[in-house]
Amino acid sequence: MTPKFLRSRGAKKFFKSRLATFSLFVIGIYTAIGIAVLFFDAITVDDTLQRVGPDSTPMIGEQKIEKRLRDADFHLARLESALNKKEEDVENAIANLALAERGISDKPREELKSEVARGWELYDELATQKDDAEFDAFDGKKKELKEQGIDDNEQVQKLAGNAADEAVEALVTSEDFVGSLEELEGIVAALYRPLTGWDATMYNLRRSIGTDRQGRSISIRALFSIKIALQIGVVSALISVIFGSLLGAAAAFYGGLIDHLVVWLYSTFSSIPSLIFLIVISYRFTGTQWESSLLPVYVAFCLTFWIGPCRIVRGEVLKIKELEYVQAATAVGFGKFYILLKHVVPNTMHLMFINFSLLFIGAIKSEVILSFLGLGVKNQPSWGIMIRDSGPEVVNGFFPQLGAATVFMFILVISFNVLSDALQDAFDPKHVS
Amino acid sequence: MSAERPAPILQVQNLTTSFRTDDGILTAIEDVSIDVHPGETLGIVGESGCGKSVTSKSVMRLLPPATSILSPESKIMFDGLNLAHCSEKDMRSVRGARIAMIFQEPMTSLNPVFTVGWQLNEALSYHTDLSKSGRRKRSIEMLRLVEMPNPEERLDEYPHQLSGGMRQRVMIAMALCCEPEILIADEPTTALDVTIQAQILKLMEDLKNKLNTAIILITHDLGVVAQVADHVCVMYAGRVIEKGTVREIFHTPQHPYTRALLESIPKSGRREHGKRLPTIEGVVPALNDLPPGCRFAARCSIAEEQCIHTEPDLKDHAFSDRPVRCHIPINQTAEVAGSKGQA
Amino acid sequence: MWNYIVRRLLYNIPVYLGIILILMALLRFGAADPAYTFLGKNADPGDLEKIRHQLGLDKPFFVQYVQFLWEVLTLNFEQESWGRPGRTVGEMLSTAYIPTLLITVPGLMITATISICVGLISAFNRGRLADRTLMVLAVVGMSVSFLVYIIVGQYYGAFQLKEWVGTEIFAIEGFDLEENGFIAGWLTYCALPVIISVIVAMGYDTRFYRAVMVEESSKDYMVTAKAKGAGRRKVMFVHMLKNAMIPIITRVMTTLPFLIVGSVLLEYYFNIPGMGNRLLGAIFDKDFPVIQAFTAIFAVVFILSNILTDVLYALVDPRVRLQ
Repeated sequence: MTPKFLRSRGAKKFFKSRLATFSLFVIGIYTAIGIAVLFFDAITVDDTLQRVGPDSTPMIGEQKIEKRLRDADFHLARLESALNKKEEDVENAIANLALAERGISDKPREELKSEVARGWELYDELATQKDDAEFDAFDGKKKELKEQGIDDNEQVQKLAGNAADEAVEALVTSEDFVGSLEELEGIVAALYRPLTGWDATMYNLRRSIGTDRQGRSISIRALFSIKIALQIGVVSALISVIFGSLLGAAAAFYGGLIDHLVVWLYSTFSSIPSLIFLIVISYRFTGTQWESSLLPVYVAFCLTFWIGPCRIVRGEVLKIKELEYVQAATAVGFGKFYILLKHVVPNTMHLMFINFSLLFIGAIKSEVILSFLGLGVKNQPSWGIMIRDSGPEVVNGFFPQLGAATVFMFILVISFNVLSDALQDAFDPKHVS
Repeated sequence: MSAERPAPILQVQNLTTSFRTDDGILTAIEDVSIDVHPGETLGIVGESGCGKSVTSKSVMRLLPPATSILSPESKIMFDGLNLAHCSEKDMRSVRGARIAMIFQEPMTSLNPVFTVGWQLNEALSYHTDLSKSGRRKRSIEMLRLVEMPNPEERLDEYPHQLSGGMRQRVMIAMALCCEPEILIADEPTTALDVTIQAQILKLMEDLKNKLNTAIILITHDLGVVAQVADHVCVMYAGRVIEKGTVREIFHTPQHPYTRALLESIPKSGRREHGKRLPTIEGVVPALNDLPPGCRFAARCSIAEEQCIHTEPDLKDHAFSDRPVRCHIPINQTAEVAGSKGQA
Repeated sequence: MWNYIVRRLLYNIPVYLGIILILMALLRFGAADPAYTFLGKNADPGDLEKIRHQLGLDKPFFVQYVQFLWEVLTLNFEQESWGRPGRTVGEMLSTAYIPTLLITVPGLMITATISICVGLISAFNRGRLADRTLMVLAVVGMSVSFLVYIIVGQYYGAFQLKEWVGTEIFAIEGFDLEENGFIAGWLTYCALPVIISVIVAMGYDTRFYRAVMVEESSKDYMVTAKAKGAGRRKVMFVHMLKNAMIPIITRVMTTLPFLIVGSVLLEYYFNIPGMGNRLLGAIFDKDFPVIQAFTAIFAVVFILSNILTDVLYALVDPRVRLQ
């Protein structure tokens, strides 16, 4: 059946659109990644939890220089505390410091200790220089303004602050300071084993979008979330479409009591606002054994999404039922169920595909919202969780996690949007392009 | 033909209309030339898909502008204007006022959310200077003219409240309310049942005589043509293949297609009892797959070599003085015995 | 027409009964017992019993059903909220519905107006640059999560705007209509959420309205109108629009429930004490009476909008109005 389908007029029209083919390609890539993660553990949950570096998120009002110093502090402090442990624990502690592929250098302990000490020296020097410059300028300016008679507290603060910023800027760009800072960062870098080849690529990939507040790699989390998204999307959409379509087709075709029942059923279900419904179902699962799996999500989505395909397929079958070839088949003597399966359902297949892609998008977007509220995916990263975690980060002006989740999701969703549009164009005769 | 015929008010010359489709540019009608004389009914006849509707819609420029193209050589001369290429503004002053059109499906051709009165009023407001009450009066007059019972009440009714025949009358009233010189009727009775059909045709005939409107009647039904047309134009696969008076076409058809069409009309009578219904074998060629020669050659019973290779021109032939597009048109004088008693 | 309306009303009644049935069943059967969920695993059995009795959970299901149904019909919710003892559900309801209305109703009106206009522009210029640009924007807009709009909207719309301009135009969160008067208060606290909900909904709505209009444009009566000599504008804005308004109006009514859903997120994020926020709070507190009552009210709004849609449809389409 599939080759015949691919040769059909609709399929030809579909593939003529380069945009549609491209979106199919994009979806293919996502699927490949998802399968790699799901079945081949290309990225494990541990990978997503692993610390990859100091966190990339700036604190409120933190200047760039402060961040760089803080990063250096991070590396130095860790190594120091590991080196200062009891003899038998040091080995282990150092091994645990590895940031993914980036392990601590193999230099002898003594050398490491002296490097760390030198590092701290430089750090203190730079930090003091910066603080001195800042406060001197601040106080100086304040005095100046007071002498000029300017009293307004807010204005004084603002102007003094500006002066301090200027002073720090001047310091930070001065040759000596830059030299020392580079030396410090060089020492820090030397604390780690140099990376080559594959390791270097992987590590750079991990650091590519930065890290969240716990130092976890954003890019890895985003990639892992692809698996979650695909899992949820495929399972929910598939079950909803199959179940909903068959129910709708049967209702329309057999008519009578079954039809009334099904219509009543979906009118009822569709009258509960979908988000509320999802939330209530998730709520019902709290405290049960399945709470931390994806089952609540699946159940919630399937119970909410089956309505769409049911309605649409039912409408279509009501029309098909009146067409002559169905009457002809009945006249020849085929049983109702057989006609339903062989004649009616294949003519609604295009609707099922279209609905599948639409529901897939709906599932992904709803997962984001549910996870955001704490009710969706638990214990694993997903785009919804990333967006939720990015809340506090955004307040500090740090957008990479939000951006990564949004962009990854956006590409998948827009591909499906384009896909469903193209499918409708190609297969639905009534569709308006 | 007859020297007393007044000059044509509409002259279509070399009309070629093409459409942009997913499969490329397809030419629906090619090199169509038709004359319409005042006060006459011209019947354009042909099977579904032969291009008759496209022709009429091209005259009115009602085809979707984005996808339809009238070739630069196309000429539709009406009162000095070339309708094929004139501005939309000029077109608007012609549509409804000087050339009007009625369509096949009166239910879907009337706007379902406006009353009959509103729709009649609209047509009048575009092309006349009548006041509101004047337009209302005229609307009632028109409805009476088309023999609508209770015209005053009808004005406030919606299309779905009327029967099929009544809706078509409304369409005719709307079309004629501005007293156009030409009425184009695109399959006006196809969607109606036979008894109503007869009434509508008679109505159109009466109105034509009263208002001296020329009618272009497009249909696939030869019976309708026989009943109301004065002149006939036969189309096949996007081309005009024969022209003549209704008598000529029905008594002495020259194109093999015309003759086959007439022969395929089922006849009753004891002589016909037990015979198979005559048909024309084969199918109309697809627009993107036209043969190099005569488009009817594949189905023609008397086709020859030249028919398959070269397309005939539409021209007068030796034994008659009306145009036929055929290399070997049927010379009726040589086939008197066979054609008597037909049509 | 009345025939049609009465039929629709009668039809919606078993639907509503069904909703309440499903809702109540969902909340009671299946997984954990509500009282248990609320009080936790180590709850004192005495407490459990007390709270169950208070809500009537120990009565047979049918009795509970009828009782609750009556409460919904009379809008008289007397149980105490579990999460906030001392306040009845009814009380919470009466203060919570106003903020929700203040976000959803303006949102509905503005979204509908703008989407119809944009859809019209698109349909009028079908196939041309304006149309294609607008539709691309619509698809792009649809592919971004609602949450991203909220987060980014809050950051740039409230926080950054304040930095640039100096004073707070849109509040980052909160809700207070007393301070500066009603309109100023609305603008400060509700305008930004409304703007966000409009932007989110526009993608979907514009595409739908455009599709409706384009479909109407290819109908036969449009050709007739043109044949009568109507200009392009008149054909579009009078003939097509009046017909298109029938599915459009019905669709506008059906977007109301989605706006309510959207308001849940907006209220949560902007800390506006509306019904959605309360419901969410109740879910986190596992506050059973509130969950049940508020969900039932949301369902009422849904059903009412369904009925209103049917009535509007009957009024606007002459084919239904005059039967």
